[in-house]
Amino acid sequence: MIQKIRVKELQKHIKANESLLKDINQLVTSAAINGIEVVKVYRLDGITKQQADFLAQKLFCEQITQSYSVNKYLLDKSCTVFEISYKPGVMNPEVASILKSAHDLGIHPTTVDTSKEYGFFGEATREELEQMLLRIKLFNPLIEYIRPTDDPVATIPLTIMTDDELIELSADKLFLNLEEMKTIQRYFKKLKRNPTDAELETLAQTWSEHCAHKTFKATLIVDGKKRKPLMTRIKNQALKHKKNIVSAFVDNSGVMDFYDDQAICGKAETHNSPSAIEPYGGAMTGSGGVFRDVLGTGLGAKNIASTDIFCFAPPGTDPATLPLGTLPPDYLLKRVVAGVRDYGNRIGIPTNNGSLHFHHDFRAKPTVIVGAYGIIPKAMAKKGEPKIGDLVVAVGGRTGRDGIHGATFSSGEMTDRTISVNAQAVQIGNAIEEKRTFDAILEARDNGCIHAIQDCGAGGFSSAIGELGEQIGVTIHLEKAPVKYEGLRPWEIWVSESQERIILAVPKIKQTELRQICKRYNVEASFLGEFNGSKKLHVFYEDEIVCNLDMEFLHHGLSHRTMIATKPSTSNVVLNRSQDDVPTPKTKQDWNQVLGKILSHGNICSKEPIVRLYDHTVQGRNVIPPYSGAQMDGPTDAAVIRPLLEKPYGMVISHGLNPILTRLDPYQGSIWAATESLANYVSVGGNYKESSLINNYIWPFPDEENLWSLDQSVNAVVDFMSALQIPVISGKDSLSSTYRGKDGTVIRIPPVLCISAFGRIPDVSKTMTSDLKKENSLLYLIGKSDFDAMGGSTYFDIYNLVGKSIPKISLQVLPKVLEAIQKAIANEQVLSVHDISEGGVLTSLFEMCVGGNLGAAIDLKPFKNQRPDYVLFNETAGTFIVEVADEKTAKKIFSAVPYTVLGKTQKRKIIAVNNGPQKLFDTNIESLKKLWKEPMQKLFV
Amino acid sequence: MQTKPNVLILRTEGTNCDEELAFAFAQAGGNPQFVHVNDLREKRKRLKDFNILALPGGFSYGDDVVSGKILAVELTSFFEEELKKFVGRKDTLTIGVCNGFQVLVRTGLLPFNTPENMQATLVNNDSGHFECRWIKLRINDKNNSPFLKDLGNTIVTYQVAHGEGKFFAPKKTLAAIGKKHLVALQYIDEKGNPTQQYPENPNGALHAIAGITDETGRIFGLMPHPERFVLKQQYPNWRRETLRQAQGKPHGLPIFENAIEFCKYI
Repeated sequence: MIQKIRVKELQKHIKANESLLKDINQLVTSAAINGIEVVKVYRLDGITKQQADFLAQKLFCEQITQSYSVNKYLLDKSCTVFEISYKPGVMNPEVASILKSAHDLGIHPTTVDTSKEYGFFGEATREELEQMLLRIKLFNPLIEYIRPTDDPVATIPLTIMTDDELIELSADKLFLNLEEMKTIQRYFKKLKRNPTDAELETLAQTWSEHCAHKTFKATLIVDGKKRKPLMTRIKNQALKHKKNIVSAFVDNSGVMDFYDDQAICGKAETHNSPSAIEPYGGAMTGSGGVFRDVLGTGLGAKNIASTDIFCFAPPGTDPATLPLGTLPPDYLLKRVVAGVRDYGNRIGIPTNNGSLHFHHDFRAKPTVIVGAYGIIPKAMAKKGEPKIGDLVVAVGGRTGRDGIHGATFSSGEMTDRTISVNAQAVQIGNAIEEKRTFDAILEARDNGCIHAIQDCGAGGFSSAIGELGEQIGVTIHLEKAPVKYEGLRPWEIWVSESQERIILAVPKIKQTELRQICKRYNVEASFLGEFNGSKKLHVFYEDEIVCNLDMEFLHHGLSHRTMIATKPSTSNVVLNRSQDDVPTPKTKQDWNQVLGKILSHGNICSKEPIVRLYDHTVQGRNVIPPYSGAQMDGPTDAAVIRPLLEKPYGMVISHGLNPILTRLDPYQGSIWAATESLANYVSVGGNYKESSLINNYIWPFPDEENLWSLDQSVNAVVDFMSALQIPVISGKDSLSSTYRGKDGTVIRIPPVLCISAFGRIPDVSKTMTSDLKKENSLLYLIGKSDFDAMGGSTYFDIYNLVGKSIPKISLQVLPKVLEAIQKAIANEQVLSVHDISEGGVLTSLFEMCVGGNLGAAIDLKPFKNQRPDYVLFNETAGTFIVEVADEKTAKKIFSAVPYTVLGKTQKRKIIAVNNGPQKLFDTNIESLKKLWKEPMQKLFV
Repeated sequence: MQTKPNVLILRTEGTNCDEELAFAFAQAGGNPQFVHVNDLREKRKRLKDFNILALPGGFSYGDDVVSGKILAVELTSFFEEELKKFVGRKDTLTIGVCNGFQVLVRTGLLPFNTPENMQATLVNNDSGHFECRWIKLRINDKNNSPFLKDLGNTIVTYQVAHGEGKFFAPKKTLAAIGKKHLVALQYIDEKGNPTQQYPENPNGALHAIAGITDETGRIFGLMPHPERFVLKQQYPNWRRETLRQAQGKPHGLPIFENAIEFCKYI
């Protein structure tokens, strides 16, 4: 810890101070100041209190005329104190001499700083004095500043505050509503005292929407009818399908069974708010945070895969349409990609799978979702519990002022002030720090050093330690936490969201072993305190009490809300055209033009240039990368990895989302997203019955209408689980996708439900890629397409049209289709499979041709009652194109599901489309490929 | 000698391709052991007890200053004599992959086994960015390295995944490397010729050099990752291509098998 030596002149009102007082009274007539005292302060780190005492006597204090103290104030409590010191980073010329002298005296401090405390006696208020200090130029604001008081723990006079004062205290800082502020007020009134700053911060963090999921836990009144909380509905349905669940909803990630006494886990997180104001740092800490979630699962899981899913405004968006306080989307996209690249590559966790979606309304705030997946021995896969007497150990990085208020900030809405007010909420990441910390922790785990683990994410120590100690209570000494630089106040250490820190509950007998392991990996381990039976969160800084809260109140004091959801009277989506129709392309040129526009659409175009920046094969586990095929440029549908290199078992990872559809129809759009995740999943050979889901809701602020759409989306997820008989085992919500500008602009960012799927397969060689394999094989369309429902399609979007009805997916047919595809792959009866999603049949077929370096000839005759353009561009999820060697095989494998022959593969690299005898058009794959690749090449190559 | 040669897989802060490198050696019949550089510094482990020193890929010490530099300085500062003794023994092999190659070059062990005298370098890719992709390489039939035994002229497909992989050396050095047949692998185009064309040559390496050895052939460094292709399924196109090259094996495996065989029978 830092030793503070204070030195004061013995005589009261010595001459120098009197002349200063004179100056003040000349300059500032109104100042009611009748005395000044000055104390010199020396701060020294890396020495003991005894050494400080020795230095004070030998070097700093001449006891003939001066007195000194170590770690105690010298100024009278009745005066107002300002400490003036050099700004951090400004060289203090005294330091070198002090260091030299200390060394000469045989004491070796690591850092030294000096400053002065001015104590003012009189009536003047702190604000008046501050004004005065600036006027009389007591210090040079270029290099000096008024140092924030360090150790006294501030007390907030909460118990006497009016409602207005409570609201004011909460705004921009605590983000709690009046009811919650009053709950806190009542608690402290009962205790007959006021809260400390740290106690208020702890409560605000723990009760933030980000940590407490207040909306998901609220009882709802939907269109007048009472409904169970969203979270309860999801959990209840999920637990009906628990045959593979190891742990769901209780740990930092969801865990399911793997093979050979191993378990696999998955988690997806959003990191929208930080990415909106500092995209590089935001993306880095997003990755770092979700990796720590996986590490913080059970007694510590190993990260083996990750995913990245982004939604932005289209590149090249007119800057004039960007709301005040937001950054241009091209810049955001590039910097977010760079952040993911630099963090993932350095830490050595592959980025296996991802997607990119564009919509103009993401200009106010992007959606950034990062997923991480891990493996852990099953015996260690359940969430650990600290035992009484276990030590609280912080492992990893040091604590700084970065990321203060991250949890509360991300729970707030974005405004034009967000960037300036909340810049402190963004942390910086250090992938190498995290990597060596992970290495050390996994070894500590294997040596029985860990009873429980919790990563420091939102809320920092306060959340991590508060959660771990929930059942039994804990005592913490914050002065033991290593800090990046001095000057942090205790509450800042307590809530800082500095990255790369993990809290462990370590049995006492293992403390030496843990220290040794950490030392070997050059990782810092700090013993902060102990779990005890107090059922209290008791935090000290040296002798000061920083926080003393009942665990019961902290974790259960927040009363559940009742919230009202109301169906919007009119759709809040503005239809750009009144007519739900577009002209059918007539000529070959028409068709080619349409196709060019679709393939170069942001949602469809090749993302390969981004993928190439990510190391997606590090660890050697990759079996199906994002791109494969003859020229390695055909997109695949999902990732397959081999968690245990020496075993043939596979893990499949996929996802699905469609913000446009969820906005148009929250129920059907959510079914679409879930279906898409499983369609991707089975396309590579995954068996959906052995999968688990993760749901991420990124929704606008839950006013009545948005809460209604959220309720619809949750209904869809529950129905989907019920129909497919698989569980959601992890999830997260972020309900702040609303932008409010100074001028009254309100932008509701499209609601996003992202469903990720992960699970196991027994043999990675029974998997499939989407690239066409052979000439003259047969192509089939499998599944039930809703051809007339073109709402929200890319095809309509190129006409700037939204449309009304979106594809309805039959939950009766879907499981059969998914099973048929998976079995066909497992039995090696198909040559290639690609699911149909954005862009429709023709886009999927085009991508298969690219991968195979082949062409195709198809005939729309079987769809004779349908518009050919709708057949080719419809986006019903859960449908597939499958390449099969012959008709007999196709009949055998697809007899129980809807299937239609589309045509044949061919060597000539064109796609030719006939409608019975009528030749509709043909198109050159090479020239389309150029259009398809160009948009992202422009940005990233 | 014993049945399973001991392979030291060197770990340090930011090492991240250690697991797959160990797996590759294990597949080839070796006995890989993870050794942290601190274990060597504190003498819990000794280099002399091993047959093969393997430096994995990753971002050692975050690639601060330049890639591999900090580890190279650590190795030459604390282990120079030990290293010299180790590579001087005729029964040892040393391999550095990706970041490991960068370290070997920066210690001076490659290309001419001149510790502390760096003669070539690996610099930022010409593209200016990190690149992860499968590329084709041809193995130099004139290089007699034990790692490359029976692989002369073979065309292999490996992964590259790096941002600082452009091999660069002064003209004279390049000429000496060529004359002494120290080039191990080169990036090639569709026709099988060494190429400067992006992305076939992913970083703009001079003479399309992807990997080199010292004169004894017992020190080998390369940017691509043979350890990421020691199982058929690690290569996504196994469904559409037959693995005719590299003795019909996963293309990375023979390198590790050669290394293990060499240590067994020397």
